[in-house]
Amino acid sequence: MQAFRYLRPSTVEEALALLEEHGDKARLLAGGTDLVIELRNRWRTPEVVIDLKGIEELRPSIRVEGGRLVISAATVMADLERDPVVAERFPALAEAAAVVGSVQIRNRATLVGNICNGSPAADTTPPLLVYGAEMVIASPKGRRRLSIDEFVLGPGKVALGPGEMVVAIELPMDRTIAAAYTRLTRRHGTDLASITLCCGVDASGTTRVAYGSVGPRAWLVVDDTGVLADPAASREAKAPVLAALFAKATPSKTSMRAGPEYRAAMLPVLGARALNTAIERLGRTA
Amino acid sequence: MTDTFHLEFTVNGRLRVLDIAASHTLLDVLRDDIGLTGTKECCVVGECGACTVIVDGRSVNSCLMLAAEADGADVLTVEGLAPSGQLDALQQAFLDTGAAQCGFCIPGQLMSARALLQRTPHPTPEQINEALAGTLCRCAGYEQSRQAVLAAAEEVGS
Amino acid sequence: MKDQGVGARAQRIGGVGRVTGGQRYVADIPLADMLHAKLVTLDCAHARILSIDTSAAIALPGVHFVMTPDDLPKPMPRFGPEYQDRPVMADGETKYHGEAVAAVVADTKDIAEEAALLVKVEYEVLPAIHTLEEALAPGAELVQDPAIRRPGPHIASNILSEYRFGWGDVDAAAADADIVVENTYDWPSQTQFAIEPHGFIAAPDGDGIAVWSSIQHPYQLQKTVAKVLGIPMAKVRVFAPDPGGGFGGKQHTKLEPLVAFMAVRAGQPVRLILTLEEAFQAVRSTGARMRVRTGIKADGTLVFQDFVNEFLVGCYGDTGDRVSAKGSFLSAGPYRTPAVRIVSRAVLSHTTPTHPMRGFGIPQVTWARESNLDEAAIAAGVDRLEIRLKNLVKYGEEHVPGDTPADGDWAQTVRKAAEEIGWGTPVPPGRGRGIAIGLKSGPTTGLSYSTVRFLADCSAIVFSGTSDMGQGARTIYAQIVAEELGIPLDSVSVVMGDTAVVPYDQQTSASRSSVLMGNAVLNACRDIQRKLKARMADMEGIEEAAISVDRGVMRLPGGEEALPAVLKKVLGRMGGEIVGNGEARKDALPEHPLGGTALFFEFNCTAIEAEVDEETGETDILRHVTVGDVGLALNPIQVTGQDEGAAVMGVGLSLMEHLIWGDDGRTRNLGAIDYRIPTSLDLPRELHSFSVENGDGPGPYGVKGISEGSLLCTAPAVAAAVRDATGAVIRDLPLSPERVWRALQERP
Ligand code: FES
Ligand code: FES
Repeated sequence: MQAFRYLRPSTVEEALALLEEHGDKARLLAGGTDLVIELRNRWRTPEVVIDLKGIEELRPSIRVEGGRLVISAATVMADLERDPVVAERFPALAEAAAVVGSVQIRNRATLVGNICNGSPAADTTPPLLVYGAEMVIASPKGRRRLSIDEFVLGPGKVALGPGEMVVAIELPMDRTIAAAYTRLTRRHGTDLASITLCCGVDASGTTRVAYGSVGPRAWLVVDDTGVLADPAASREAKAPVLAALFAKATPSKTSMRAGPEYRAAMLPVLGARALNTAIERLGRTA
Repeated sequence: MTDTFHLEFTVNGRLRVLDIAASHTLLDVLRDDIGLTGTKECCVVGECGACTVIVDGRSVNSCLMLAAEADGADVLTVEGLAPSGQLDALQQAFLDTGAAQCGFCIPGQLMSARALLQRTPHPTPEQINEALAGTLCRCAGYEQSRQAVLAAAEEVGS
Repeated sequence: MKDQGVGARAQRIGGVGRVTGGQRYVADIPLADMLHAKLVTLDCAHARILSIDTSAAIALPGVHFVMTPDDLPKPMPRFGPEYQDRPVMADGETKYHGEAVAAVVADTKDIAEEAALLVKVEYEVLPAIHTLEEALAPGAELVQDPAIRRPGPHIASNILSEYRFGWGDVDAAAADADIVVENTYDWPSQTQFAIEPHGFIAAPDGDGIAVWSSIQHPYQLQKTVAKVLGIPMAKVRVFAPDPGGGFGGKQHTKLEPLVAFMAVRAGQPVRLILTLEEAFQAVRSTGARMRVRTGIKADGTLVFQDFVNEFLVGCYGDTGDRVSAKGSFLSAGPYRTPAVRIVSRAVLSHTTPTHPMRGFGIPQVTWARESNLDEAAIAAGVDRLEIRLKNLVKYGEEHVPGDTPADGDWAQTVRKAAEEIGWGTPVPPGRGRGIAIGLKSGPTTGLSYSTVRFLADCSAIVFSGTSDMGQGARTIYAQIVAEELGIPLDSVSVVMGDTAVVPYDQQTSASRSSVLMGNAVLNACRDIQRKLKARMADMEGIEEAAISVDRGVMRLPGGEEALPAVLKKVLGRMGGEIVGNGEARKDALPEHPLGGTALFFEFNCTAIEAEVDEETGETDILRHVTVGDVGLALNPIQVTGQDEGAAVMGVGLSLMEHLIWGDDGRTRNLGAIDYRIPTSLDLPRELHSFSVENGDGPGPYGVKGISEGSLLCTAPAVAAAVRDATGAVIRDLPLSPERVWRALQERP
């Protein structure tokens, strides 16, 4: 690792001031499970590392505020796995959080970090897309919100300007989306997924599917024909509708994890499975 | 600009105060600066779990944590499991079931198991498998480790 | 329940250190004034080195020097277990991805790492051969300069060596076969992946050198370092702390000579601890492609077996020749086949040097043989268990003419596995079963010495040159000594891993240690018993012949006496100790194709019940039964631990493990993220390990070696279960979901 300075501000304002001062020589540290690897491999060589865990406002917290679930920036996967509100209202997010790395990783890795790294294979992106999450972004100019669909851009790229940082992720609680998360891996134990996929249905018959690891970013697609969400519709009727949703998939031709044909073939398989679970879940909430 | 960091934290109940390179991980500091070599280094990418320690009650990969992040924390390593020389129930169970072969992964397995039992005193075999999934063992088949954790859970619980 | 001596579920000696963090592996050893080394490597496989500029690195404060080939003796010293062809560091050319071209020595790890990045190497990338096709293509570039090859018929090709084994006339026999099945099977290159990456330290030691290494064969290392440095073996002291796993990957010398040269130059200790990625680049196992033809009668009787086995070894000879020869020699397995033809080739490539991996080439050929036998059985409509039992040799019958005959009741092992998987009972829908047999020769030569000191207070110290890399050798030896000297287990200590103190042992491999070193320890105890007898005869004024000793008890004309009491009497007030020396050898047979017959066989039968997710191709092993003929379980807990460990490693090798090379010969999946091994969530739902114990092995009390058995035939058993469940036939590994899915699409 190249030498750097470690700084631990205690307020968001201090952190923003440091970001402003050091510009692209600075790197934010939340859980560190990705950043430390990047530093060790010298993929990133910042001069200062700004640890956000000393900031009171960002401390791990999952709370309901004004009809939204607010997840602070230092909240780790293990917190999400165990949170009763997440389990009840956003089970697909709990499912995704529960398969990020091992217990040890989930004790450190943050949800916000997972999204801000911009990995196309991030497990938590698809459920956040389906649930319509918003990123809360702070800058010296104030705060703004951005839907996660506009936030994730491509490999390693997110819509965060210089001097900006994410302080929370919010999930709307005013509508009920029953969703399920699933993924494709090479082994049952911890693994980077070759497909990440979340499917959500709501009472109006809209189906939202988000899938990642098969292109530069995770995509959100919506079916409002009602066919997919219809528990009575046949497998045959759903198949073409489902298949059409995956048109955006461009699985890598050179990946070691899985070949493009296989990934393409697995998308509708996983899609149908997650859809069934989502429909079941909707039935239970109704 | 200084790239050293003044670290104060507790390791196995003992307060440690030292100046470290800010770029050093908790694993580096435990092994090289403090000389506690029971915590092992293998993959340094959070996959093998040989470096697992408990920080403020939670198991973590010490290779993925900057030592500076442990400032003020309470750290438990494998050396802290038997402070008085008396093996704790988990250590004894690992010996009884024969789970430790070459032993290189064992500190990590013990710390993962310890964190599990602190939170879940009576785990199911599935919960044990989940808890141990972040610590690779190439010698044994995990079966004897699972039995050891179950046995230790009984011991402590009874 | 016995808790010490033979057959006891004794707790591991050295176990306490392993659960307290007190056990010191190489990377944990503190030496005063130690310097740190870092290798300089290129991000390509095969390259011509044009220049190495070390100036920027040397200018960095804290750097002592940068070692380059110019700093080594000319010609470049070379070494290797079978061929003296591996250079201390890349000599003008790198031949594989990760070969060291220079090394930095500095005050700290950080500085060494930083400086290694500052070494500027100019090089020209050359095409790299990394497949059998490329290596064997007419006109292929030669991986090795013929000038450093051993003369022979293949010197102008990439064939390192070729063997032909067999008996009977395959071509004539083919006419008698009712069914002939021929196919090609592939086994990928894999890596041993001990959780402890290799570590090395060297330090000047008087007028010699001390070397610490996580090595399986310390005495061979001692010899190699002496030769490369040009000093007497007596001036090389090798410390071999217990390795954190070996599995074959720590057998032979690798970077120790380089570290030794650096320590000599520095005049102080130098250490090099590899990263896991570097460990992947230090050693791997051998991939293989096997063309197999099996001919049977309509009733399943074997008529002939015909093999062409090609092993893809690395760029240096290493153990490639031996793995291909020894692995192939038993290609035909434990069957009574009248005609067998085996061609075996080791083929050089621009890839990581190969060591054996648990199983020594046998898992590869077993995968091919057992899969092909299943295909023949299915074609003939013969039950897959029946075909095996029908052709299996009986106790004392030869399966390879002229070699050691069957040394166990192998049918008993097979029947046990069949019974435990419920062979012949209805298979639940969606599931399938498979059964396979693995057979491996134990060592064909061997030499082990041990010294046992029976101390005045009736405790004992055992000296043994075995490396205890997890198999539990220490515990076994202590159990033997406790049994033979009639003392408690906890008053025995075992000293290993120091060539200056512990007498010679050839090596720790081939599941030999319980048998060979076990016998040496037993003989050392017998030596003590003899000395005690002689002294007692003298003191009591009786004939020695009137005294006998059996497992810790001396029988005298006047009654029995426990050995500790005898010792006290014999030593008297002077005290002192009785020292026993023991030897165990397995002599070479120069006319034998392998240089010696098998000391014993490891025989295993594995049976699998599995379920396949037909949509995704995922295989779930529901029940995994492994049965091994162990002779006798000296320590049942350790036997189970070894067997379960090998079985789960076998599952990894079957379902998920393979090294991936790019077209440029670079290893693409270095390290733990993209080389997957089983975790606790990847286990068979049920794993049952059984031992057959008939006390018929050549080791102490009838033991045989056991450490490899259960992975020899995991792959064919799993693939057979997949085929049984789905009809999908798979002939290359690993059985990843993607590969199984593809086979399902291609199903007839
Ligand atoms: S060394 Fe930390 S997880 Fe492998
Ligand atoms: S005991 Fe050797 S790696 Fe687990």
